[in-house]
Amino acid sequence: MSIELGHFALVLAFAISVVSAVGGLTLWRRGERLSAVLGQAAVLQFVLVALAFLAVVHAFVVSDFSLALAANHSHSLKPLIFKISGVWGNHEGSMLLWVLILVLFGALVAAFGRSLPSDLSNLVLGTQSLLTAAFSGFTLFTSNPFVRLSPAPLEGGDLNPVLQDIGLAIHPPLLYAGYVGFSICFSFAIAALVSGRIDQAWARWVRPWTMLSWTFLTLGIAMGSYWAYYELGWGGWWFWDPVENASFMPWLAGTALLHSALVMEKRNALKIWTIFLAIITFSLSLLGTFLVRSGILTSVHTFASDPTRGLVILTILALLIGGAFLLFAIRSPALRQGGLFAPISREGALILNNLFLATAVGAVLVGTLYPLLLDALTGTTISVGAPFFNFTFGALMAPLLLVLPFGPLLAWKRADLVAAGQRLMGFAALAIFLAILISALAGNSISLVPIGLLLGFWVSFGAVAEVIERSRLGRIPLAESLRRLAGLSRSIWSTAIGHLGLGLTVLGIVSVSAWETELVTTLNPGESAELAGSNIAFDSFEQSEGANYLADAGRFTVTAPDGGTAELVAERRTYVASGMPTTEAAIQTYGLSQLYLQLGEPLDDTHVVRVWHKPYILLIWLGTLVMAVAGVLSLTDRRIRLGAPQSRQKLSLGATR
Amino acid sequence: MPRLADKRLGPMIFWSIAIAVTAIACAALFYAAAGRTVNAPAGEIADENQLFRETLAAIEADEQSGKLDAEQALAARAELAREVLRSQRTSSTNVSKPLTRTPLVAGLVAVAALTFGAYTFLGRPELPAQPLASRPEVAAQTLDLGGAVTRIEARLAETPEDLRGWQVIAPAYIELGRFADAAEAYRRIIELTGPTAELRTDLAEALLLQAAGDGSEEAMDLLRAAAAGDAAHIRSRLYLAAEYMRLENYEQAGTYWQQAIDLAKGDEAWLPAARQGLLVAKNGGAEIPVAEDQSELIMRMVGGLADRLYSDGGTIEEWTQLVRSYLVLGDQESAQQAYDAAVEAFPAAFDRGDLDGLALGAGLTLNGD
Repeated sequence: MSIELGHFALVLAFAISVVSAVGGLTLWRRGERLSAVLGQAAVLQFVLVALAFLAVVHAFVVSDFSLALAANHSHSLKPLIFKISGVWGNHEGSMLLWVLILVLFGALVAAFGRSLPSDLSNLVLGTQSLLTAAFSGFTLFTSNPFVRLSPAPLEGGDLNPVLQDIGLAIHPPLLYAGYVGFSICFSFAIAALVSGRIDQAWARWVRPWTMLSWTFLTLGIAMGSYWAYYELGWGGWWFWDPVENASFMPWLAGTALLHSALVMEKRNALKIWTIFLAIITFSLSLLGTFLVRSGILTSVHTFASDPTRGLVILTILALLIGGAFLLFAIRSPALRQGGLFAPISREGALILNNLFLATAVGAVLVGTLYPLLLDALTGTTISVGAPFFNFTFGALMAPLLLVLPFGPLLAWKRADLVAAGQRLMGFAALAIFLAILISALAGNSISLVPIGLLLGFWVSFGAVAEVIERSRLGRIPLAESLRRLAGLSRSIWSTAIGHLGLGLTVLGIVSVSAWETELVTTLNPGESAELAGSNIAFDSFEQSEGANYLADAGRFTVTAPDGGTAELVAERRTYVASGMPTTEAAIQTYGLSQLYLQLGEPLDDTHVVRVWHKPYILLIWLGTLVMAVAGVLSLTDRRIRLGAPQSRQKLSLGATR
Repeated sequence: MPRLADKRLGPMIFWSIAIAVTAIACAALFYAAAGRTVNAPAGEIADENQLFRETLAAIEADEQSGKLDAEQALAARAELAREVLRSQRTSSTNVSKPLTRTPLVAGLVAVAALTFGAYTFLGRPELPAQPLASRPEVAAQTLDLGGAVTRIEARLAETPEDLRGWQVIAPAYIELGRFADAAEAYRRIIELTGPTAELRTDLAEALLLQAAGDGSEEAMDLLRAAAAGDAAHIRSRLYLAAEYMRLENYEQAGTYWQQAIDLAKGDEAWLPAARQGLLVAKNGGAEIPVAEDQSELIMRMVGGLADRLYSDGGTIEEWTQLVRSYLVLGDQESAQQAYDAAVEAFPAAFDRGDLDGLALGAGLTLNGD
């Protein structure tokens, strides 16, 4: 009965969301009493969807194969963690998770939003309910996770083996929390457009949600990238695959939104642009989730491609996104523009940032959708591969990274670029010196390598520069500097740490792209090979049996240049229920570098072995973690921080001094 | 009949809970509206200037801690003042009229109607949950048959009326060689449901197994009753024919063989054996033991499949079937040979999921070493 009660709970949540959406969007002027009802409805939606979700999880855990979803995607022998994560390792279940996170955010707005003006609150909760109604309706009527089987089969069909990994327990929930979090920004944007109420209070509300979603999305993408790296067995960490791009576009747009919301909160400027970005970001999030589901793209992420489903989801997307932009077109001219500022100012720098990020989104969007459109319209299949993205994206990011360190050093409203430049001079020199030194030592001539290194170091040092500058380190007694450091607001720390993380990621990318080495060879047990100073000895080959798979396992001993040895096991598994093979690469970490070893197909009398040495690859993900820490730090800082404008007299005074 | 009661009670309990949940949700929404009416106006006004006050406090705090100098603080205050003035000019908290009871109740009615409408369309309220661990057919199938039987026995001791339990445990007893207990279980089932040809045959089978080849008068009575009661019942006739063969009553045996053959559709596995039996009976008992004959038949079939696969090749399913047949016949060596040949034909482990699982389970040597 638990399954049917879960089903009923989901239907009830759907009904409540439909009525809240209609009520919230038509009666939004009806004040506090309606807000109370909508708030309660948001909390109820969350409780009910959570019950529905728990019912499905329970059915998976006890292997109740009368639930078609469990029969198709679970197996009684699967370890418990994969029984649970298997709930969202398929289309229907992942839709349910999506809706769960959507209503969770709705409930959070209701809980923390008691101080919002009632009209804004009504519209936000109404829009949020509209989204819930659309997606829970889609789930119930086209992808129902509660479809039953009678008689129930005795055993399930098992989960795609590639997904039987701890990554499935982490990556989708984080990514969805990121995608769905932007729905709050979207709802606020719609509310601002409908009510015409757009002020600093609005921005103060939107920014933490943006920050929260952005942090989750950053972690989700990083986790997905690391998962693909160790599980798919190709040793690559980013493929410019349409599905990856689909998650990367909302991240870029969200990063832009983060910065423009900052300007709006502190300076009450860039209002219309911020609203536009909020709509764009969530639209791209929807595209990210559903481009993958519509069956247009095929990849690990495509679960069940059913043309009807794809059509329904595209219709929903078209209505939501199209409706939002129509509203924007009609209402935005009536909104009041924000405050004025000089081109060279913190605001100006942030606009530059937005400009580059928005163009990058455009480039990725074109690269992702153009082949699809071309295929649909003319039947010609072209492949827009990594070279296109590397070139366009690199060309757009290089100038952005170049000007990034200036931003935080500029004053609000009007600033002195020369003064900022003088303060950064030392760090620029250090970055140039390091870039040249390292390239020379590694034997790289003038190429993209030193330029990439230069940008990475420059961004990292520039991030630290602001903190050092404010603490006046070296210019006043150390104790005094430390006291100043401790007294810096968390928002300043979060800016510095966030930019530092970006610098680290850039350094990791440059280093792996420039100095990665690869070895493909055939080995038999007893033989050995050399790569990047390490000796790789193939000790033995054996067959073993896991809980639900058979494995061909190769044991290797790797002797590092410093003499340390490590025992590595690389496997090729065949999952019994599905008969599908997977590759389990062996990865050995040395500091920030990794040795990546993959056991290939067995030949007649030998084995193909692929080994990569990936110098400083962990910097890529370390950088994203640092960025996420910055996001969390910024979230904990809820004090009002007004960007105090620089007065004109003082600026001219500073310039002549 | 506890099972029957379950079937009727399940949906009733379900609908009671469903109605209760809906009622609670609607009540929560209804009272949420009522709860906020008292101090609403105060809250509405307080909101308007709260942010400005907080901002002013933040500017003052920053000025005192030295983050802003006097000039910057002054500029910030001036900006804030302009913002307050602008906000007062445009502010018209546009609450037209508070939410009345009519749209609220209409909304709640819509919620209830939509919920029950959609659920009736989508749901299966009559289907109970069926977690794997508590499904009797699984309990009987698991490798630890003895343990499962003990569990069911314990349950049956408490609820001796549980027909399902008896139905599961009876074949399990046979499997375990506890024929006397199996006979008792079948007697119990017959008591609970009344005799049918099938049940009488089951009981007779248990009795014959218990007698270990010595025959049983009671079993013969039961089989005769089953055959007489159901003119289309084959299994009882086969047993009768075999028993009469053992008793060397070839006339009766021939009659039942003939009846069974007449009832057959033509593709049954026992049909060749029955025809053989009929021949023997007509010959007045030229001894050809039936069991041996059957295994010879299997050997011939397997031989045919093997010939074809080894010379012309075949699908991986056919190879798997061949290996399985050898394993059933207990011919480990031929099974290994067939497995090796299959591996040669399908070198990619990817193609051989089932076969490798089977081979591993039967202790064959897997490819590669």
